[in-house]
Amino acid sequence: MNVTTANLKKLKIGMVSPYGWDLPGGVQAHIQDLALYCMEQGHEVSVIAPAIDEDALPDWVTSSGRPVAIPYNGAVARVAFGPVANRRVRRWITDGEFDVLHLHEPAIPSLSLLACWAAEGPLVGTFHVSAPRQKAIYAVGPILEPAIEKLHARIAVSQTARNTLIDHLETDAVIIPNGINHHAFASGSIDTSVGERSIGFVGRFDEPRKGLSLLLESCELLIDKGIEFKVVIAGPGNPDAFLEIMSAELVARTEFLGRVSDERKQELLRSIALYVAPNTGGESFGIILAEAMAAGAPVLASNLPAFQDVLEGGRVGELFEIGDTSELALRIENLLNNPERRMALRALGQKSSLRFDWGQVGESILDVYRMVSSSGEKVRLGSDFRFSRAKLGREE
Amino acid sequence: MLFVVWYLSFTATRLDRLHHRVETSWANLDAALRTRSALALEVARSNLLDPATAMLLLAAAHVAVIANQSERADAEEELSQLLLSLLEEDALDSEGEIFQELSQAREKLRLAIAIHLEAVTRTQAQRARPIVRAFRLAGRAPLPVRYPFEEIQV
Repeated sequence: MNVTTANLKKLKIGMVSPYGWDLPGGVQAHIQDLALYCMEQGHEVSVIAPAIDEDALPDWVTSSGRPVAIPYNGAVARVAFGPVANRRVRRWITDGEFDVLHLHEPAIPSLSLLACWAAEGPLVGTFHVSAPRQKAIYAVGPILEPAIEKLHARIAVSQTARNTLIDHLETDAVIIPNGINHHAFASGSIDTSVGERSIGFVGRFDEPRKGLSLLLESCELLIDKGIEFKVVIAGPGNPDAFLEIMSAELVARTEFLGRVSDERKQELLRSIALYVAPNTGGESFGIILAEAMAAGAPVLASNLPAFQDVLEGGRVGELFEIGDTSELALRIENLLNNPERRMALRALGQKSSLRFDWGQVGESILDVYRMVSSSGEKVRLGSDFRFSRAKLGREE
Repeated sequence: MLFVVWYLSFTATRLDRLHHRVETSWANLDAALRTRSALALEVARSNLLDPATAMLLLAAAHVAVIANQSERADAEEELSQLLLSLLEEDALDSEGEIFQELSQAREKLRLAIAIHLEAVTRTQAQRARPIVRAFRLAGRAPLPVRYPFEEIQV
């Protein structure tokens, strides 16, 4: 078989999401975009995910049952486990006859881990999260290590996610970033009402690690200096706690838009003068930075490792010291007062963010699929099912 | 006057007895918690669970076992909540002997918590009395406290 026919071969791809399909989240959004991209290329895709409302799922998504909120690693996680999820994922693997099975976050105790234990054959795993080393990592090793060993290819979405994987599980991975729809951000209408001196912020702003309070503190400094600006904040959350501590002057200049549609987000990013990401940690990628760059917004971000990667170490956007509000204020002032610099960053960012376009990212992932499935072996249920003694092994 | 002295000493003795009861009931509760986390670890390693359930249980039980004094209450609370969720999802619904033992351990823990809380509540009530506070009859004994993990079902 030569290269051309290998690339033309249509694949049957199974993808597993550990988190609820109808809950907001970066991992689910990534799986959905990837699935749509692969289907556009003519491949057949089936996704299995926990879901609250099974009837609302598209026909290519199968439900494994409700996601359950449980305490995990010091936070609350909504995951899938137990006999029902296990039976459904095994049934789905048997029925799917997949050429390749793509497991997202197989090191999280949820659906992808169940699928990884159950399946045999061409398996691909993607690791999204970057997290501090867990206390229980040695204890859970006997469960994770055999699962990770079964993956024919491991993908990390960023250098930070790759470092987490090396540090926690002593295993390496290739880096393929999260994807964006570059064209949707780069072209389209501009909302002139947003204003020429507006600062944008998108995300769940009431999560402390997103750093909105730092941005607002810097804005108070700008008001003291008499700088003209506006702040536009989009994303779900309750603004009351922020409005209480903001000065009346700043409240008058700030707009909380709440949750916005994808189209509105794209328009907003095209319309602002500057995108600020003051996050303090916990980011493994920073997809919003790539989206802002594609939309032509100059980006000013805290110097988290993940953000340094997206901004090419500061070549295509500006970085400031995490948590340094006076540096942030100064950078905002300089950028707002320097339209030439913003024009330059606009052009650099739009060009650089092409590397995150699904056209590239999706093709890299398809290359991985083709490599692991080149033997023609199908995905099937493993014969050495460890839990055969329990009732769990029986089919529905 | 003589009566006052007698009453103070009587109250102090009562308090001392209560403090001693709290110590004993805490020792029982501590032992019941340790039995529960040890059995939870054994269940998690039994090969009778699906890997996601096993990993959740391993992580929570391990954290409870290695927790130092300041982390302990949170760790036990997480383990209680996790066990409840796992049972609700029938993820621990197996007939093995080890499951029976874990369920008995949870039964004993419930009892130990009830006895301990009763002792704590009585001691706290006594120590809140003005006479006890004015004459410092509790001495240097630490005020017994309730932990959130004692308030939820185990």
